[in-house]
Amino acid sequence: MIQLETKVANFTKKDITEKPVQIHVDKVNIYYGTNHAVKDISMPIHEKSITALIGPSGCGKSTFIRTINRMNDLIPSARCEGTIEYKGANILNPKIDVVQLRKAIGMVFQQPNPFPKSIRENIQLPLKFAGVRNKKELQEITEDCLKYVGLWDEVKDRLDRSATGLSGGQQQRLCIARALALKPQVILLDEPTSALDPVSSSKIEELLLQLKEDYTVVIVTHNMQQAARIADYTAFFYQGELVEFGFTSDLFNHPEKKSTADYISGRFG
Amino acid sequence: MMKASRGLTEEALSKQTDPSLLKESGLFKQLTNRYSESRGKFLIFSCALLMIVAVIAITLFLMVQGLRSFVVDHINPWTFITGMQWYPDSATHPSFGALPFIFGSMAVTLLAAVIATPIAVGTAIFMAELSQKWGQRLMQPVIEILVGIPSVVYGLIGLLVVVPFMRIHFGGSGFNLITGALVVGIMILPTVASIAADSIRAVPNSLREASYAIGGTKWQTIWRVVIPAAGANLITAIVLGMSRAFGEALAVQMVIGNARNLPHSLFDPAATLTTIITLSMGNSTTGSVLNDALWSLGLVLLLISYLFILLVRFLSRKRVL
Repeated sequence: MIQLETKVANFTKKDITEKPVQIHVDKVNIYYGTNHAVKDISMPIHEKSITALIGPSGCGKSTFIRTINRMNDLIPSARCEGTIEYKGANILNPKIDVVQLRKAIGMVFQQPNPFPKSIRENIQLPLKFAGVRNKKELQEITEDCLKYVGLWDEVKDRLDRSATGLSGGQQQRLCIARALALKPQVILLDEPTSALDPVSSSKIEELLLQLKEDYTVVIVTHNMQQAARIADYTAFFYQGELVEFGFTSDLFNHPEKKSTADYISGRFG
Repeated sequence: MMKASRGLTEEALSKQTDPSLLKESGLFKQLTNRYSESRGKFLIFSCALLMIVAVIAITLFLMVQGLRSFVVDHINPWTFITGMQWYPDSATHPSFGALPFIFGSMAVTLLAAVIATPIAVGTAIFMAELSQKWGQRLMQPVIEILVGIPSVVYGLIGLLVVVPFMRIHFGGSGFNLITGALVVGIMILPTVASIAADSIRAVPNSLREASYAIGGTKWQTIWRVVIPAAGANLITAIVLGMSRAFGEALAVQMVIGNARNLPHSLFDPAATLTTIITLSMGNSTTGSVLNDALWSLGLVLLLISYLFILLVRFLSRKRVL
């Protein structure tokens, strides 16, 4: 814990130049059948910054992040109320074209889930879905994306081998590269490092710091140190409610609510 | 290293071993001890052994019987497999050429697969991907009923519906190769559909999520992600259907026409290995040349069935691309 505080201490508020808000979340409620999983969440998501969602298991943070690109539509019993405003439109509006939405708001999951196809195909499939046919363009984007996530040198000689032969960390970086292929504006990551070893995790963390230069990043994490290390903003969720939201340094150093203080000091969760 | 550690154990055991910690020694004691695992193991092992013995016994028995025609009756195996003439009852020159039946079996099987595959895979996609609720409530029982219908019923329907249809629209007697394939194709449809649906359901949900998360539509997800991921198992479903079609005798026999000549078109009558065996077995006496030749047909059938199984094993093996 001492280590954590020293790390956060030199991460002070004045280091951050506040970026404009890209996504406005306003009074969002999510239900699974009769289970009220997420209660009245309102928070901003700032452009080109990392927003971390922390909280104990079952606090609704994954449910919430999966709502931002409407992945919860896949669960028949899930129901959302409220407003998530992005580019002047409410994402939760049933008239929204979710396919276009997901092209602009990409997602990376807890378990690396590359397609059981070649590494090349994994990057190119989203492009093919979007109708890109030009071979040269496909090839260029593949190379760019793999270079961006630092995977190019590791896999350039085996692009046509199966992606399932890569290590867990490599698979997760490939999944991030795949999410980048369509040049989205927002990347959502649902506990992207919890299935990885520490070395692979730290590589992903470095990558996330690089990602925020070009993309808006929202990450769910179980790992408080991870949030402290990389996030600009942190939201603490507890029992479906957003307990506290603020600059990461403020939230970790001067939590306003008692439950936040208890959670970050490891007293529960 | 190994030796040292084993030595250590023995030493340790000899020094201070509580007898209650040691395994029961002696087969009899192991089998009579109420708390021994050996009794259960023995029972299960016997069941498994019985299966293996049955397979080996059937194979050996068919081998012994099926090879008689070549060894005892001196039929040339090559002319048996490639011969076109099947006249076992000719007094002067009895000939045993099984090619028309081998061809008939193959043709019925392949055509049945061609007819059944698209419909079965479509049904499977509907059940497993598009409408899981209806798939569970309506399609699953429907398919189970279809699987349970005896083949003679399929044959009867073929006889009363498909044969007259063929006669009216394509001429001839209506008893022909394509009628047989159609009846068998419909018969294997539920088998293929239900295994195909299982293989589609077995595709991990994380792949579907991955596809939706990169802006895939439902259609793109099914065709570009789910079907390829189910790939090998889908082919297994088709091959299993084919092996069922290959072994079917009754329904085929009722509608195929049972001609001993090689058919020249889909609308010619034909015969298959199974139909000729069931038709002729009753008319032959044990030990006669015809009887031996029929056993040989059975052996050919068994060998080709083994090939199907090998094919299934080959296709469904775990592979890293």
